[in-house]
Amino acid sequence: MQALAERFARYAAHRMSGARDVRVDGLSRIHGGASRETYRLRLRWSEAGEPHERGLILRRDPPSSLIETDREHEFRAYRAFRGTDVPVPEPIWLEEDASWLERPFFVMERVDGCESSLRGLTEAPCVAHREKLGRTKWQVLAAIARADPSRLGLAKGRSELSPESCWEHELSHWEHVIDADELEPEPIARAAIRWLRRNPPPPAERISVVHGDYRSGNFLYDADGNLRAVLDWEMWHLGDPLEDLAWSLNPLWSWPEAKLAGRLLPREQAVAVWEQASGLHAPSEALHWWDVFTQVKSLAIWISSGREYADRRSQDPMLALVGWVVKGAQDRLALDALRSPS
Amino acid sequence: MKPEVPATLQALAGVLLAEIAPRLVDDYTQKTSGVAAGLLLVAAEEWDRAAERRVQENRALRRLFAEAAPQVRSEGLRRRIELASRSRDPSLRLSSLDERNALLRGLLIELHAHVESLTGPAATRLEAQIWDELRAGVERRAIGFWPL
Repeated sequence: MQALAERFARYAAHRMSGARDVRVDGLSRIHGGASRETYRLRLRWSEAGEPHERGLILRRDPPSSLIETDREHEFRAYRAFRGTDVPVPEPIWLEEDASWLERPFFVMERVDGCESSLRGLTEAPCVAHREKLGRTKWQVLAAIARADPSRLGLAKGRSELSPESCWEHELSHWEHVIDADELEPEPIARAAIRWLRRNPPPPAERISVVHGDYRSGNFLYDADGNLRAVLDWEMWHLGDPLEDLAWSLNPLWSWPEAKLAGRLLPREQAVAVWEQASGLHAPSEALHWWDVFTQVKSLAIWISSGREYADRRSQDPMLALVGWVVKGAQDRLALDALRSPS
Repeated sequence: MKPEVPATLQALAGVLLAEIAPRLVDDYTQKTSGVAAGLLLVAAEEWDRAAERRVQENRALRRLFAEAAPQVRSEGLRRRIELASRSRDPSLRLSSLDERNALLRGLLIELHAHVESLTGPAATRLEAQIWDELRAGVERRAIGFWPL
């Protein structure tokens, strides 16, 4: 860890031309974030004779990843949403040159005094503010859905997507992931994929930025129930905003409080907050399609993590856990979604 | 020593959680140890039932195929379904049972897709049986220790 701290200090000094005596304190790895290695640190330096310090988050490409995306893609989302109604940490440096820290990485502001854990939502002090946080959670998701991709500079690829067919683009993507990574035949995932193709959803009301992993656990909140920053933008893309809404409602994120979506609000209330704040609609038939899609996408991610572990591309036991236990739970949820009426 | 594998794995998980993790200085390795201990407990649960659940599932799939075969319209698929329904597990080694299970579950996918294209009460009943088997497969694999 000391070697990484020293290398990062050298990098920071290279980026900050007026800085002297640049050093790193308290570098530690954050658990989770299986798509990238995530570290917290405090950077200290002097400039014009004055001491300075700043809390930072370092996101470094891993040797192996749960989700294969490039860091520039994620960094671009932070840059685009900075200063909008969607709170995000300030993105600071993007570095593609692997010689600095062995792998490419990016750096962003550390938002202090917050946590992101699912468990924290059900414990004091946050448990008293769950309704407030829940309302904000789905209002912020509505703000993502409302945002104009062109104005944000995130419209690349927009012309290739139509409201009628954007679902097909996403479904094919995740089907290919399952094709490539399954360790054994997956009859539930395959049944879900066939159902989705036989019952296409209505056209998207609009083509929006889709966060791609908007859920409890992927935003920072404080002790007063304020949502301070939306994180983990590595899977953002353009598409039907109902994709994000359904993903946020995945019952997996509710466990063990099945009646509270993301451990925060009853599903119906969450949908109503989102509809009111976005001005968009979530008809039950369309949302049901995206609920089933959510199961396929989740299964694809857990199947991929199992593949990473089985192929020994990663020794992270979290990949084995999700590929085994969570994938099993998701199979059950997929069956529930397929057998429930829209 | 007679190797009691589940008890050994449980004990190892206990050592990790109670003895090693608290002495680790950083949050990341502490939590990673916790996940590793959880996996040992899952493996302990799986150990005892591993062969039984595979044998049960392979038998259940063969029974399903035997009932389904007369309704399959595609000759090639019907032949493979009939053949699979009469197959046997050549060994109780997990790797061998898994190999057979993969063949049978692959065939189940084909059968399910085929049945979805059929109409009539018999097809509806068969499809319901397939859904029941999918549900049973999930329950066979469920981890009691980690009841997500």
